[in-house]
Amino acid sequence: MKLSAHYNKASIIVSVSVLLISGVVYYLIINHIARQQLDNDLTEEVEEVIDYVNQNQRLPRSIDFDEDVTTFAKTKAQAFDTRFFDTPYNNPKEKKAEDGRAVSALIKVNGQGYIVTIVESREETEYLIQIISAITLALTAVLLCIMIVTNRFVLNGLWRPFYSILQQVKKFNVADTGKIATIGSTVDEFKDLSDAVAKMSSRVTTDYLGLKTFTENASHEMMTPLAVITSKLDILIQDEKLSPDQFAQITDIYSAASRLSRLNQSLLLLVKIDNNLLRDTEKINLRTVILDKGQQFHEMIHNKNIALDYQLNNFEVNASRYLIDVLVNNLFSNAIRHNKNAGRIEIRLSGNKLCFQNTGDPSPLDQDAIFERFYKGRNSDGTGLGLAIMKNICTLYDFSIGYQFNQGMHCFWVEFGQ
Amino acid sequence: MKLLLVEDEQSLRESIEKYFSEEGSICETCGDQKTAIQKIAVYNYDCILLDIGLPDGDGFAILDFLRSTGKNECVLIISARNSLDDKIKGLNLGADDYITKPFHLAELKARLMAIFRRKTFVTNNTLEYNEICVDLLGRRVTVNDKVMVLTRKEYDMLLYFIANKGKVISKNAIAEHLWGDEMDMLDSFDFIYTHIKNLRKKLMELSGKDFFATIYGVGYKFA
Repeated sequence: MKLSAHYNKASIIVSVSVLLISGVVYYLIINHIARQQLDNDLTEEVEEVIDYVNQNQRLPRSIDFDEDVTTFAKTKAQAFDTRFFDTPYNNPKEKKAEDGRAVSALIKVNGQGYIVTIVESREETEYLIQIISAITLALTAVLLCIMIVTNRFVLNGLWRPFYSILQQVKKFNVADTGKIATIGSTVDEFKDLSDAVAKMSSRVTTDYLGLKTFTENASHEMMTPLAVITSKLDILIQDEKLSPDQFAQITDIYSAASRLSRLNQSLLLLVKIDNNLLRDTEKINLRTVILDKGQQFHEMIHNKNIALDYQLNNFEVNASRYLIDVLVNNLFSNAIRHNKNAGRIEIRLSGNKLCFQNTGDPSPLDQDAIFERFYKGRNSDGTGLGLAIMKNICTLYDFSIGYQFNQGMHCFWVEFGQ
Repeated sequence: MKLLLVEDEQSLRESIEKYFSEEGSICETCGDQKTAIQKIAVYNYDCILLDIGLPDGDGFAILDFLRSTGKNECVLIISARNSLDDKIKGLNLGADDYITKPFHLAELKARLMAIFRRKTFVTNNTLEYNEICVDLLGRRVTVNDKVMVLTRKEYDMLLYFIANKGKVISKNAIAEHLWGDEMDMLDSFDFIYTHIKNLRKKLMELSGKDFFATIYGVGYKFA
């Protein structure tokens, strides 16, 4: 639910209940006042009757009292408390029953006790109350309408800068150079928010850029010492006086150095993909790329006695040749590296879906973790970046990538966009 | 061959100098842009190995200088940046090839020999080593005037070994040369053994000599 709807709900509930409660209180108070007024009138009338009796020593006739209905009843009671009560009133003119208010009191005429009852119409006070209620209700309705309309138009207008900021934040991507612009709003809160968001986004972008530059520089700086190590080893093995044991150790250093260099190159490649620095796209026939790569990997496949099976249709993809090369390269090297001796690799390209299936470890891989940077499976000696690079390439071009394990085969698939 | 090495990292400079000097060819070195330009202005070299990142400015200025003075040295750029932009810029400025750190000295040598051959191609398009004769234009190899049929990889390997004759070359260097360094295959380099074995056999059949020596587990020597 939107904030304006929440606000609407709260304000409507509060104002309706306040209006209703005040309406009830109003009604009760007016009712009370009106009743008191009637009772005062009735008391006066009773006094008039008593005055009349004192002057004339006889009961007055009913007609002497305007429209009020006055009745006298003989009583033997010596004491009677004057009491007021509600009773029907028969309007003698209009001949109809109305609500009325009555008073009963004891008067004495020549020693004879009479109960005098005077009934007065309540019609007018009722009418007054009805009018007040109607006005209250009408006011409530009008107020509600005004509130809903105000909320809808005025509030939505007020919130517009907020939605525009939100839209920008949603679109924000640290890798883009585009900045979030500040918004001119007359509302201080939104101005503050907009300023804060703009500041934060530019700081995040700067930090991110700094981090990327750092990664890039660090990787590049490492290349020269690596070159020194490699070249020193190349010189060292020229010395034929070295013992076989020393040569074995040199071989290990070679491997470590080449692994470090590969790791560095992979990190740099990740930075390049993240920065979208490889923008050169061309139409690439995937089938040709796969067949070429298969040829390149021929020795490794042959060396492990792996059976390779292709089922490829023609499919063209628009991307950087280098990145597609890396993608297919990584698919191949994973399928070979994690294969067993005399295993199988099945490569299927049907429609826009490419699938590399290979035999290997009999248990499935952890689907959620494998695409993370530096995730490494059991006894893998890769850099741990191969799948992360593949994932980044796919994200760059909006391809989808995934892993499945079925019938003992590990399957990595890539779905290329149309 | 007279060579100028422009590289600011001293230990790398020493390694390269040592690897290249043993040939009997002259290898001069310097560590900054200023000295390099002074040397180039005074002497003539066959080839220049040029590091792009120098303490007193980048190596592109040296390329500019070469071009503006109409010198025709082969230039092989050495860079720590595997950047396509730098590569294109260097090649546009007249460099002949571009190699990224880290590299194997054997690879550096092979690349240098290749560009040197290309420069002198007009006068000489055959490469001879003892009884082996390579026709670079037709990619044809003869041993004692008998034609030797080689696969593409065996041919590349032969050129690589001839360029690095008398040197021990590690298996890593051979694998990276033949399959590229993107080939992320660290497990073993056993698969290069097959190619070496075939090439060795073919050479032996035609010349009666074994050109290869296996150096323990580490690599091979061609002599």
